Amino acid sequence: MNAIVRLARAEVRKLFTTRAVPVTVAIAAVVAVGSVLIDAAVAGHPGQHAMGSITETYQMLKFGPVVVMAMLILGILAAGSEFRHRTIIPALLTTPQRARLFAVKVAVIALFGAVFAAVVFGLGLGTVTGVLAAHGFHHLPAAVGRMYLGTVIAGACFGMLGVALGAITRNTVGAIVAATGWALFVEVITLGNVAPSLEKWFPVGASIGLTNPPDPGVLTPAVAGVVLTGYAVAMLVAASRTTIRRDIG
Amino acid sequence: MSVISVSHLTKRYGPVLAVDDLSFDVHPGKVTGFLGPNGAGKTTTLKILLGLAAPTAGSATIGGAEYRRLPDPLRQVGAALDSNTFHPGRSATQHLKVIATAAGIPHRRVGEVLDQVGLADAAGRRVGGYSMGMRQRLSLAGALLGDPGVIILDEPLNGLDPEGIRWMRGLLRSLATEGRTVLVSSHLLTEVAQTVDEVVVLANGRLVAETTLADLTGRSSVVRARTTDSTRLADVLLAAGIQVRLVDGTTVEARGADGDAIGLAAAGAGLPILELSRHDEDLETLFFDLVNDKQEVAA
Repeated sequence: MNAIVRLARAEVRKLFTTRAVPVTVAIAAVVAVGSVLIDAAVAGHPGQHAMGSITETYQMLKFGPVVVMAMLILGILAAGSEFRHRTIIPALLTTPQRARLFAVKVAVIALFGAVFAAVVFGLGLGTVTGVLAAHGFHHLPAAVGRMYLGTVIAGACFGMLGVALGAITRNTVGAIVAATGWALFVEVITLGNVAPSLEKWFPVGASIGLTNPPDPGVLTPAVAGVVLTGYAVAMLVAASRTTIRRDIG
Repeated sequence: MSVISVSHLTKRYGPVLAVDDLSFDVHPGKVTGFLGPNGAGKTTTLKILLGLAAPTAGSATIGGAEYRRLPDPLRQVGAALDSNTFHPGRSATQHLKVIATAAGIPHRRVGEVLDQVGLADAAGRRVGGYSMGMRQRLSLAGALLGDPGVIILDEPLNGLDPEGIRWMRGLLRSLATEGRTVLVSSHLLTEVAQTVDEVVVLANGRLVAETTLADLTGRSSVVRARTTDSTRLADVLLAAGIQVRLVDGTTVEARGADGDAIGLAAAGAGLPILELSRHDEDLETLFFDLVNDKQEVAA
């Protein structure tokens, strides 16, 4: 069997032989479905949009950021835990060609991120559809398909970003704290209030252009995809340089 | 013909010279002890040999090739550097299957090596709950997975109980008897003395001995000769090619020498021998003297 295929199968096996993946999938699914149900529960109340309105439906579909943050964490764990638990040593003894090992890991996580995003978004979308149907509404807004595809792309990109962060820092806890701190405090809270026109050019801000409904304050999906991919590529180049050159162990 | 060849290897970490112009060879069919105190440069050398670190100068090859250029490395070289290279959430079986999958090794080998190292009953348990001895055995299982001809183990006896040490010694000997090349590092000569055939000793990153264990053991015996004029006796013995050390005005000591040769040389020079005795230093003292620069042993 081709060495690349074997390596990819080994990377998939790594993902599904620890609790990180099933726990993260479960949490993301619960949060996505739960957010839909909560939105549905308050729909029509004072200050909330009516159930069945396009605005309300879009509101229920705003769980894309949950998916991308979950993939960011999984990506960090996929790379960072190899250093934390020193499984990078048997990995490199098996595959001493570091560029190949790193590239396959990135590709597997990107693919997994896309599938993960598709599954969780699908669960959330299914819940939205069910909630709407229960209220006698049987149509979805036009941008839902684009949001679905955008979330899949964002899931892949954030998985790759996570791998890059995990490989650069070699510290899972530090990378997760730094990444979530950046997302929340730097982008959402600080830039979102101080310079909202600047926030959309950073990773989390750009991802909203992919995962969320149309909004004049966010990047168009095409531009958001290019920006996010650019961040992922830049981080991966930096990570590959350190990973390939660094002494291990 | 050597299988492992280290040639003028140097590794510098900033101002620290971890390995200093090191050269040695390891041959098949023997257990070679790679010895030295903590910080001597053993693990650094092994990491360079296995492609985990880059040398500052020199080379370290296996079968004439750098590790990263070996096709199917796990089928040629099995290495266990650390007993903590496992994800605690995986079982032994899962850990080895990840390696086997990547290396293209049939998964039935996983059960075989786990059986070989005595972990079959614990194979399904998470590694996080393993004792250190179990982790050592799992590390060894990973090294044996590809049925390699070269086996490199870093401090494999750490954490093993006496039964485990005895088992490991037997396993290493049987691997060498099969014609494999076995390189075992340790910081204690006495720990591996019952197992190794040859020794490579490091201190401060430099080679201080590369010889057989029998030769090293021979040098642990000291012949003491007492006479009326130790200085003249020392000159006579030096002229006969026997290295001596003056103890005092009447006594000389010669490490690893033949007592008969000393007696005959003294008789030939007309010097009376008042005492001729042999003392065996323990290996541990010999080893400490070696690595503390109190003597050198040429190959």
